Amino acid sequence: MGNINSSGNDSDLKVVHRMTVIKRIIHWTLFLSIINQIITGMYIAYPFLIFGKTPTQADSPVSGVLNSGETYQAFIMTWMREFHFIGAVLIDVSFFAWLYLAFFSTKEPLYKSFLPFGNKINEMYKMIKHYFTLKNKPETGKYQDPLNAIIFTFFHLLLLLQMATGFQMYVASFTGTSAVGAWWPAMLHICTDWTLWVFGGLTGVTLTHLFITWLIIIFIFYHIYIEVWRSIVWKEGDILIPFGGYKYSRDNLKEDDTD
Amino acid sequence: MGKGDEKNKTAKGKKIENSDRACSDEYDDKTDKTNFKWDPLRNIADDPDEALNIVDSRLTNLEKEYFKSQKDIDENFNNVFSASSISRREFIQWTALLTSALMLPTIFAPRVARAANILTRTPFIWLDMSDCMGNTEAFLRTAHPTPAEIILNYVSVDYMESIMVPAGYQAEARRDETVKKYKGKYILVVEGAIPTGMNGKFLTIGAKGKTGLEITKATAKNAGVIIAVGNCASYGGIPAAYPNPTGSVGLSSVTNRQVINIPACPANPVNLVGTLVEYILIGKAPMLDSLGRPLWAYSGRLHDNCYRRGHFEAGEYVKQWGDDGAKKQYCLYMMGCKGPFTWNNCTVAQYNQDMSFPMRAGHGCIGCSEPAFWDRMTPFEKPNLDAKIFIPGVEATADEFGVALFGAAGVGMAAHAIYTGVKRRKNNKEKEKNNGKDNDNNKDKK
Ligand code: HEM
Ligand code: HEM
Ligand code: SF4
Ligand code: SF4
Repeated sequence: MGNINSSGNDSDLKVVHRMTVIKRIIHWTLFLSIINQIITGMYIAYPFLIFGKTPTQADSPVSGVLNSGETYQAFIMTWMREFHFIGAVLIDVSFFAWLYLAFFSTKEPLYKSFLPFGNKINEMYKMIKHYFTLKNKPETGKYQDPLNAIIFTFFHLLLLLQMATGFQMYVASFTGTSAVGAWWPAMLHICTDWTLWVFGGLTGVTLTHLFITWLIIIFIFYHIYIEVWRSIVWKEGDILIPFGGYKYSRDNLKEDDTD
Repeated sequence: MGKGDEKNKTAKGKKIENSDRACSDEYDDKTDKTNFKWDPLRNIADDPDEALNIVDSRLTNLEKEYFKSQKDIDENFNNVFSASSISRREFIQWTALLTSALMLPTIFAPRVARAANILTRTPFIWLDMSDCMGNTEAFLRTAHPTPAEIILNYVSVDYMESIMVPAGYQAEARRDETVKKYKGKYILVVEGAIPTGMNGKFLTIGAKGKTGLEITKATAKNAGVIIAVGNCASYGGIPAAYPNPTGSVGLSSVTNRQVINIPACPANPVNLVGTLVEYILIGKAPMLDSLGRPLWAYSGRLHDNCYRRGHFEAGEYVKQWGDDGAKKQYCLYMMGCKGPFTWNNCTVAQYNQDMSFPMRAGHGCIGCSEPAFWDRMTPFEKPNLDAKIFIPGVEATADEFGVALFGAAGVGMAAHAIYTGVKRRKNNKEKEKNNGKDNDNNKDKK
């Protein structure tokens, strides 16, 4: 087993900058708001906590664990929806910040790794091969590896779909105008009405929103798994990226350590 | 039919009591005047006076056309309502209700009354296609009809299979005659979906065995206004439910003329009469939403106008038919209420003599005013999340499919983790074995 001190001097272990402060803020905002979206969204889909439960309803195990008494004291669905919308706003802002940085970040623009041209596809397959053989680890480059970059891009497309379907459900309660003017629902209709045709009416849009939630949950588990896997297998501290912004590169130490 | 041509002369120069401004007695071509702005939801028109003038001259012209004299007009009112024991007072109340339902200011109330009166004389064709006649039944068979239903019973129906006197060849001759004689003037109401499979042969009607498709196309061509009543005529409804063996479609798919959709199962008489009255007033379709429904009736979502909404927000739900929550009128979201997905005015202009609607009666909405409701809103008594998702080859709810994918992904990741562990151990052992030796092989592989 290779070990930093035993295998050459410290200067060979390079430090690679991967996430600017803004990107880290975006990352953890997304993390918190998506967890929030999943919890509140699942409640909206299936209100598992029932307030003001009645004796018959309490007989069933899924019925209310909380009983707040009178109707006017309990607005749990209101709060769930309120937090869902707050989370939605955070996601929207983060998404567009990410989109901007993906192309115009001066330090690490994502497009350098995800645009599938030239050897990018090849590098992606190399990484997948590496996952299943543990051999021939692709070099740690200046930018994100193409496989991650493409998966992150795909994830953001899911977010975009989630925003489109979410705003379609949101605009459903408007009748042509709003507190900030008629432009707001009009804009949402223009941006999201296509979902009605693609997914088959508002019920289909809602089911799509719910199904994408599951895809996002799968992404989260995959994402955490693979970052932990990398940290263990590569020993380059990948898990530190969203905290400190840096990881290490052992590419110079390869002679001694070929895990 | 008392609709002769000589009436224009008799009514000329008559002052009509209800109009509060003088209007020209000249007969102007209606078709010229339909190009004005009409937006009752916001501010009716750029120049409200102009809109009012247009409406007044339209009404005057129509009265001249369909009535013999002022006396005829008054008597018609009386006949219609005394025959159904509705007092004049009740009728005035109803016009006020309809005026506000149409989102018009009160100055229009007397005009709405005049239009309702004219409506009873306007030539009218009611076609039945693939349907259960539920709309007809609902309009004709109420025990205590409201003025809306009375007007529908009293309109001078030139063709309507369920109530007309002529039969067979005579009936069809009557229809063809109306189409010819009142070209561009008659109201066409279609109930039921139109089968298009096998060139329409799934539905043949009448002595000559014409297909429903032919009949609708021929009658729609010259109609003054075309209205699809009920979900089937609007969007295909139940005949068009998956897998739709007859290729049934809504009316708007078989004609390239504008169709006003009054969906629901059955449609609310108020919505039909209101739309007809508005047509008489302005000579064109009212403002429609993207699904062809009049905005005045279909711009609100049931969920947003439901009296149980407070319980929805409070997290108080009926969980079982007849449980305590049901007795306390809790929200029916978990019993499959489709109010959150449905636009209609049931909670405002109520059914059954303006008395009730599903949620009031304790059952959720089934979304009957939305396209393809039989496919999209089912299961009716379970929340939307229990609906099957439409992915070819997958027969599961979104959650079932999601959990299955999640499980598969989890198994994959676990397998990969175990594989990684085993492989690393093996590699380490090999390395230990090779330790000390010159290890060229490994390097070459790079
Ligand atoms: C809801 C949960 C999460 C989501 C949606 C998410 C999403 C993302 C996205 C989109 C990126 C790419 C950033 C960019 O391109 O600017 C990223 C990077 C990263 N995330 Fe997460 N993340 C989540 C949770 C976590 C957690 C809990 C960890 C571990 C502590 C983590 C570790 C990382 C690491 C190490 C990277 C950098 C990967 C690289 O640049 O090679 N993430 N994450
Ligand atoms: C990662 C992001 C998101 C997740 C995981 C998520 C999850 C969910 C889930 C599971 C539901 C319940 C669906 C059902 O009733 O079957 C829901 C409802 C909803 N979501 Fe999201 N959502 C996300 C983002 C958004 C965004 C960006 C918006 C934009 C406004 C949004 C708006 C809504 C609305 C309006 C509803 C319906 C609420 C209601 O019926 O009262 N969501 N969400
Ligand atoms: S009963 Fe139906 S329409 Fe009424 S609040 Fe509940 S879900 Fe909405
Ligand atoms: S409540 Fe729903 S199902 Fe009932 S009539 Fe209205 S739209 Fe149709």
